[in-house]
Amino acid sequence: MSEDKKGGIKRRDFLKIIGVAGGTAAVASSCSEPVEQIIPYVIPPEGIIPGVPNYYASTCRECPAGCGIIVKNREGRAIKIEGNPESPINSGSSCAMGQAALQGLYNPDRIRSPLSNINADELQPLGWAAAETALTEKIEELRGNGKTGNIVFISNNITGTLGNLVDQWMDALGGTHIQYETYAHEPLKEANKISFGIDKIPTYHIEKTKYLLSFGADFIETWLSPPEYTKQFSKMHSYEDKSIGKFVHVEPRASLTASSADEWVSIKPGTEGMLALGIANAVVQSGQSPNGGGGLRGMLSQYSAGKVSEITGVPQQTIAQIAKEFSSMQPSLAIGGGVSVTGTNATETLVAINILNYVAGNIGETVDFGDTLSISTADSFQDITSLVSSMENGDIDILFIYDVNPVFTLPKQLNFKEAAGKVPFVVSFSSFMDETTELADLILPNNTPIESWGDYSPRESVHGLVQPVMTPVFNTKGTGDVILSVSGQVEELNGKFTQTTFYDYLQDSWKKIWAGASGVGDFDTFWNDSLEKGGYYEKLPARQVSISKAVSSVRFPEPEFTGDGDFYFMAYPSYRYYDGRGANKPWLQELPDALTTGVWGSWVEVHPDTAKKLNVKLGDFLSIESPEGVIETQVYVYQGIRPDTLSVMIGQGHTSYGRYAKGRGVNPINILPLSTDALSGGFAWLSTKVKASNVQKHEQFVQTQYTTTQHDRDIAQAISLTELEKGLHHEEHPEPDFYPPREYDRYRWGMAIDLQKCVGCGSCITACYAENNVAFVGKEMVAKRRDMAWIRIERYFEESDNNAGFETRFLPMLCQHCGNAPCEPVCPVFATYHSPEGLNGMVYNRCVGTRYCANNCTYKVRKFNWFTYKWPEPLNWQLNPDVTVRSKGVMEKCTFCVQRINHAKDLAKDDGRDVRDGEFKVACEQACPAEAIVFGNLEDHESKASKLSHDDRGYKVLAAVNTQPAITYLKKVTQDKA
Amino acid sequence: MSEQSTLTYARVNDDVIRMLDKPSFKWWALFLPTLLFVGFGLFCFIHQVHTGLGVAGYRHPVFWGVYITDFVFWVGIAHSGTLISAILFLFRANFRMSIYRIAEGMTVFAVLTAGLFPIIHLGRPWNFYWLFPYPNQRELWVNFKSPLLWDVFAVSTYLTVSSVFFFIGMIPDIAAIRDRVTEVPRKIIYSILSLGWKGSNWEWLHYSRAYLFFAAFATPLVLSVHSVVSWDFAMSNLPGWHTTIFAPYFVAGAIFSGLGMVITLTVPIRKIFHLEDYITLDNYDGMAKLIILTSGIVGYAYGIEFFMAWYSGSPAEWGQFYYRATGEYALFYWIMVVCNVLIPLPLWFKSIRRNIKILFIISIFINIGMWFERFNIIVLSLSHGFDPAAWGIYKPSWVEVGITVGSFAWFFMFFLIFLKTLPSVSIAEMKELLPVPRKEAKT
Amino acid sequence: MSDKQGVLGIFSYLDVTIETVKKLRDAGFNNLRVFSPFPNHEIEEVMDEPESIVRFFTLGGAMLGAACGVGFTVLMSSDWPISVSAKPIVSLPPFMIIIFELTILMGALATLLGFLVNSRLRRDAPRTMYDTRLSEDKFGVMITCSKDGLKDVEEILTSQGAEDIKFDGV
Repeated sequence: MSEDKKGGIKRRDFLKIIGVAGGTAAVASSCSEPVEQIIPYVIPPEGIIPGVPNYYASTCRECPAGCGIIVKNREGRAIKIEGNPESPINSGSSCAMGQAALQGLYNPDRIRSPLSNINADELQPLGWAAAETALTEKIEELRGNGKTGNIVFISNNITGTLGNLVDQWMDALGGTHIQYETYAHEPLKEANKISFGIDKIPTYHIEKTKYLLSFGADFIETWLSPPEYTKQFSKMHSYEDKSIGKFVHVEPRASLTASSADEWVSIKPGTEGMLALGIANAVVQSGQSPNGGGGLRGMLSQYSAGKVSEITGVPQQTIAQIAKEFSSMQPSLAIGGGVSVTGTNATETLVAINILNYVAGNIGETVDFGDTLSISTADSFQDITSLVSSMENGDIDILFIYDVNPVFTLPKQLNFKEAAGKVPFVVSFSSFMDETTELADLILPNNTPIESWGDYSPRESVHGLVQPVMTPVFNTKGTGDVILSVSGQVEELNGKFTQTTFYDYLQDSWKKIWAGASGVGDFDTFWNDSLEKGGYYEKLPARQVSISKAVSSVRFPEPEFTGDGDFYFMAYPSYRYYDGRGANKPWLQELPDALTTGVWGSWVEVHPDTAKKLNVKLGDFLSIESPEGVIETQVYVYQGIRPDTLSVMIGQGHTSYGRYAKGRGVNPINILPLSTDALSGGFAWLSTKVKASNVQKHEQFVQTQYTTTQHDRDIAQAISLTELEKGLHHEEHPEPDFYPPREYDRYRWGMAIDLQKCVGCGSCITACYAENNVAFVGKEMVAKRRDMAWIRIERYFEESDNNAGFETRFLPMLCQHCGNAPCEPVCPVFATYHSPEGLNGMVYNRCVGTRYCANNCTYKVRKFNWFTYKWPEPLNWQLNPDVTVRSKGVMEKCTFCVQRINHAKDLAKDDGRDVRDGEFKVACEQACPAEAIVFGNLEDHESKASKLSHDDRGYKVLAAVNTQPAITYLKKVTQDKA
Repeated sequence: MSEQSTLTYARVNDDVIRMLDKPSFKWWALFLPTLLFVGFGLFCFIHQVHTGLGVAGYRHPVFWGVYITDFVFWVGIAHSGTLISAILFLFRANFRMSIYRIAEGMTVFAVLTAGLFPIIHLGRPWNFYWLFPYPNQRELWVNFKSPLLWDVFAVSTYLTVSSVFFFIGMIPDIAAIRDRVTEVPRKIIYSILSLGWKGSNWEWLHYSRAYLFFAAFATPLVLSVHSVVSWDFAMSNLPGWHTTIFAPYFVAGAIFSGLGMVITLTVPIRKIFHLEDYITLDNYDGMAKLIILTSGIVGYAYGIEFFMAWYSGSPAEWGQFYYRATGEYALFYWIMVVCNVLIPLPLWFKSIRRNIKILFIISIFINIGMWFERFNIIVLSLSHGFDPAAWGIYKPSWVEVGITVGSFAWFFMFFLIFLKTLPSVSIAEMKELLPVPRKEAKT
Repeated sequence: MSDKQGVLGIFSYLDVTIETVKKLRDAGFNNLRVFSPFPNHEIEEVMDEPESIVRFFTLGGAMLGAACGVGFTVLMSSDWPISVSAKPIVSLPPFMIIIFELTILMGALATLLGFLVNSRLRRDAPRTMYDTRLSEDKFGVMITCSKDGLKDVEEILTSQGAEDIKFDGV
């Protein structure tokens, strides 16, 4: 490949060398040598200096959002994932799932080589050559019998090159390619088709809005593009020039997203459409509509506030108030989606929401059809059902499964498992032994996205590149390469593909994009720029759309529910496990759910009154019975859910999928009926009513916070807009002190955390685990309150005069690096002390473990190593070489990422200057999608952090103890009741 | 002193030295089990060091538990020994004469026991010596500002001084034993221990001086040690710990529990070795009065804590004390109040103070109550601190129970050995109580 | 070998012992020692020995201890100056406790030393001049005198009704 230009050649040679290095590492560690052993480079490879990290831009494939990521590589190993600032999607931030991709890469339960049961009873490992031949033979045999049509390749929504390759391959073989997404948002597409004649999912501009009205769209958790929308939301909702945007969330259950809302409107499941129409009507009636209702006036007039309020259970004045604000606080935006509106009338509901946006004049303003999401191209639920039926009829001879787990994510009633059993030859490309892969006769484990070439285009304007950051950990192979080499072996397909490696294929297909692009130089510059930036990002013009007449013909029916139980049953996607794929990653299992602070399990949320009626309390087991089946899980009593609704998180309840996922919690999908949304045919998530009964069984509910209120401690403070407008005076006067105040020279590291921005998503926690080698300890240990998290998110439910009667407050609590730290003087051996730069240092080697420091810590942020915690091979490959791995008997806590501070100082020293503000970010700050955390030098009075710490809203937690923390919290801002 | 009329110098020697006769079956029946439990405690400790401190019930945020409770408990026990021998000596309170030797023995062994726990509770006990300021090539020193380091100095000083005090007091009696015993090994041992004491007026002269000074030193020491122990808590900022009354409160509590333990120990000894003529009802009466006093002080402390918490207006302070009386641990709190404040009340009646059986039972309750007092102060304050998000409940594990039981066994093991090897009653000082023999008196 | 001789008279009664001592004094025998099973003031008075100097040991030890306390805390803290919670490196209030404890410790040990050094244990009287009864219920008077004084001494002792008389080196 000498004709390859410099960029490519560098990259590929480099990767070979990394291959050598990493390979040696793999060998060394796979024969259970202590991985601490340093593998010496016989010839130091070019481009890699031991101790100096390399960073590679890539694209996250943990969920369809397709965020840009930057992977940090040390000595041939990926050790940290961070958001790519270049990416227009997440612009630098990341979510917990993205961070945890590393634990997919290094997961000890990965499939380590091809497996097959062709000439054996159970799966046996075999070499790649043998595996590919086996596949080739099957295909040839099939073609021999002329049954070409009977091949199906079911994958997730793989847009971009691999998708094309699969399509081409299937065409050549005469098979079909089905793209299955658990949450395919079909009703949204259908509704847009009906309303605007566009069969697509638009992009929304939440940041531009003054007033956001969400009907069940959990955009902070899983809806479409969480990090992006969280960032936009925090812009729109943060306190700037004396005002904040208002956010109202309508859902039967106060989800994490709803917790950030100024108002949570509890609504009767399935009647969101009615409410939207009612509001639209009120807007039109009040003459606030810029287009005067655009011919819908008459149609809307039948949805009087009174009628709507009757159907939805939402009080009339609330409807009036929302309508007033929605039309006055322009630009406004109504969004809909998520499982709560995805009933049998989902499409109608979303049409109604479109109407609301239309009459308020938001279409084209905050809803942009110029740049639509590629998840629109996923196949429909009907394609899946028909696939299943043809499998059952024995019409399928070869089933390829790529990166999907339908056995887990499809309702039991569909019998995917049994149907797949009827398929003579099932091939899985999965790298994990999940419920579906268990059915496979041949497993060709794919590289994880961190190990392979590829691309992904989450939306029209964004072409994200996926590039390998390290050599494969195990004996796995990119599916693209497998397809190409197998095609090479099937005679009929010979010459079909000119490329021999997927890398070539990828470049060739990018030549097309390059051709379409303008002003990007020759292909190699384009290619290398894209590699550097993590992809190629276009600017697409907004597209003007107008409402189509079709909407007026839409009828808005009541939702239908199977089952005759007393409770609506809501199975909602988890922002930690998505559709269950996250469950095998200990970081995500141990990341406390923001609302319940529960970990490593499932629970059902029950309203206090309902709990009284069912006579259950926290930790009791409740049996939930639908016509399709029964699940038993623990009760969490939660005031943020309707008394007539029960909800269980999706993602747990795996019967396979590795040691961390298997046999944990329940899978609510198992008891969902096979009902679909009438118009779009998409799966109807919220469509059953269940019976619930107390099974007289109790277990400790394993959570990380046992209290729900602040007990008057005033830890997470809030302030109302009017109070702020009055302009309160921030008491700057120094507390009287026995000793003179401490002097700092150039640096006093500090932090400001804006509680108005924090949404409680917990990505800071996972980022901290990844950066600082924080051990995960497992359910049994967390049950004993022995979790090691350096940063926790405190969650408080506060009495409030809003409609819900309570508000949720989140407060990230980490070491405050006090100027007058209580932990320091009590240590008999100086194991913890105050550094000249204001850090509260912790010397592991000196610590003898008296634990007095932790006793005396006002904020209880110190964690003690009760045991020496282990990272099963090869999870320990992820450990950050710059951070000590602690052993039993020593105290540990947040260090303000001192390794990053020192790195930045070294760089600054090299060119003889001070560290500049914003030059580097600490792990939690870097990950935060809401940009709630700001770290910086308080001695530099121009720095963002020091400015914020003198903000009017600024306060120190438990200031009365006079610990003089380096962290300033900015009070949450509450809307006054209008 | 009518009971002692039958006593003669010779009988004092006989009675005291008879206690050192070959151990009876009863003694072995008591001694061997202690060895067994000490062994089990040791096993628990090894298991803990090997596996990690997690085998104990500790959890965030309760980083101190049963071990520190035991530590404070045993330091407390250690106090009345020195109190009785030193302070009462300075006050010339004669009722100390017969019991102070036992009390001092108790002190020394209790400190020996207490001293183990700061090491047992360490996360990395193999580094315990880092707490001492010893010269090392890296020139690392200790933090003299840490209350834990004050502990190191206070407790080790206390152990040294009380052991020396204990030994000095015994020299003349050991000499007396030396003059009695005949069989070779014991003879030699006691001869060495007696340092060649002959009881000449010259020896007595310096002996009395030295003894006086020891008493004078031991008195402030005993007060300082438990004050320092109390500052382990009072120096922190934790609600329930951060208070100025701790030093006197702890000292009173220590004397209280110490007296309780003295009674618990002396009553059976008195019975078994027929020491009724030595340890008289007057002695018990005197101790019982001290118990009433200290029980009163402790009770007052319980009350005033609540008042201060309420008066401070700090939600954390008040929350802590409200929690103590009503929270998950309320039972422990009320056990403490009943045992330490209510049960000693009958001692106001002379008849009860002089009723050995009742006194013994009360003393047992005092021991229990005082153990729970320490548990409440330590665990409850920790489990219910400033930040509600960090509240948690602590339950001891079998390892902690094993080590605690082991510590009691360890204490009684030493005590039983002491009974059989050293004079449990001061021969010389008993003689001082007797009328001096005079020729005139006889005719 | 000197011509000094030792005589030990053993008595049952304190008053007799005291009397004997006085008599011996009158007869010009001043090198006397009295043995008793317990300390007794009358004996102290009649013997009137100079005030014990143990107290100077105690004082010295205590002062040395205090000095060590100051030295330890101040020097060690300054040698490894580590700042904790905005407190000065050398802050006396906490050091006071260390100083106090060391004062007590060294004072006590010095007292022990003073006692051992001054009481002349085992050197005070030859072993032969001791009787086991002296640690039980008898009082003893030991006289060291020249050979020719022996007669008078024995006379006085017997006249006082000594229960037993021991001669050294006979």
